[in-house]
Amino acid sequence: MFDTLIRKLSQAGGLTEADHKTLRQVSLRSRQVPARRDLTSEEDRPENVHLVLSGFVCRYKILPKGQRHITALMVPGDFCDLHVAILDEMDHSIGTMTSCTVVEISRATIHDLTANHPRIAHALWWATLVDEAVLREWLVCLAGREASKRMAHLFCELLLRLSVVGLVKDDSYTVPFTQIDLADMLGLTPVHVNRVVQHLRSENLIVLRRHHVQIPDKARLMTYCDFIPNYLHRRPRVK
Amino acid sequence: MPRFFFDTDDGNFRNLDDEGFELLSIEAARIEALDALPDMARNKLPAQDHRTYSVRVRDEAGTVVYSATLDLVGEWHIPRAGS
Repeated sequence: MFDTLIRKLSQAGGLTEADHKTLRQVSLRSRQVPARRDLTSEEDRPENVHLVLSGFVCRYKILPKGQRHITALMVPGDFCDLHVAILDEMDHSIGTMTSCTVVEISRATIHDLTANHPRIAHALWWATLVDEAVLREWLVCLAGREASKRMAHLFCELLLRLSVVGLVKDDSYTVPFTQIDLADMLGLTPVHVNRVVQHLRSENLIVLRRHHVQIPDKARLMTYCDFIPNYLHRRPRVK
Repeated sequence: MPRFFFDTDDGNFRNLDDEGFELLSIEAARIEALDALPDMARNKLPAQDHRTYSVRVRDEAGTVVYSATLDLVGEWHIPRAGS
């Protein structure tokens, strides 16, 4: 499980054995967090950065009338909040969607990694830039993609992100979301989410069973929603 | 909390909800149903000038407790070839 972080950051390229050792030490002490708990809440001034080793975590905001919008998903290997090492106060909340294994890394450790381990600093910067690219893609999805393509796009993205950390088998993976979670992620009403799931299922684009998604033909699903994986930046820059 | 089921139809794809979700009250179910209609209309551009979007709410016993429809109607005001 410790190698989850290394698998994820290796996409940035350039990490050595010594860097792997440093990263393993950093992620040694983990704890279990139950589902549906906040790791940090808006207006907190957290002292630790959270790294997900298992489970799903989301970044969200609550509007004044109580409506939630999920702006990001964190899967194993993802940092939730590298920014707390620098920013003063949380402008959003971060909560678990499932029971999770989480590592808390102190701000001091993050400062040490960025100051004294240049290749790791590069990889953390890469991770932050990819998070930003994913956010950009979600924004484009919300503004421009119709509901069923929006959902298909999310399933394509998760297929690639989870396969990096070894959580995909035969184009199938766990999706622990409720219809409400999906609605809050995709900017749709829960009733429409149900329709869209059934539509994708009837077209045999996805097979969704008991929190498990299987993709019968990933090339077909990707074509259906015009999925272009460039924004995940899975290959390091060579020159 | 009671569970409600939402069957929907846009004239092209009809969905019988076998999953449903829990809501505080029947009034909350009404709001979810009404809220879904513009969502459905936004995501299904009508090929013709008239399309009806509908939603039907069932309770756990299978009784239809509420229904709503949204009519989208377009009309030309100039002569068009073939019409």
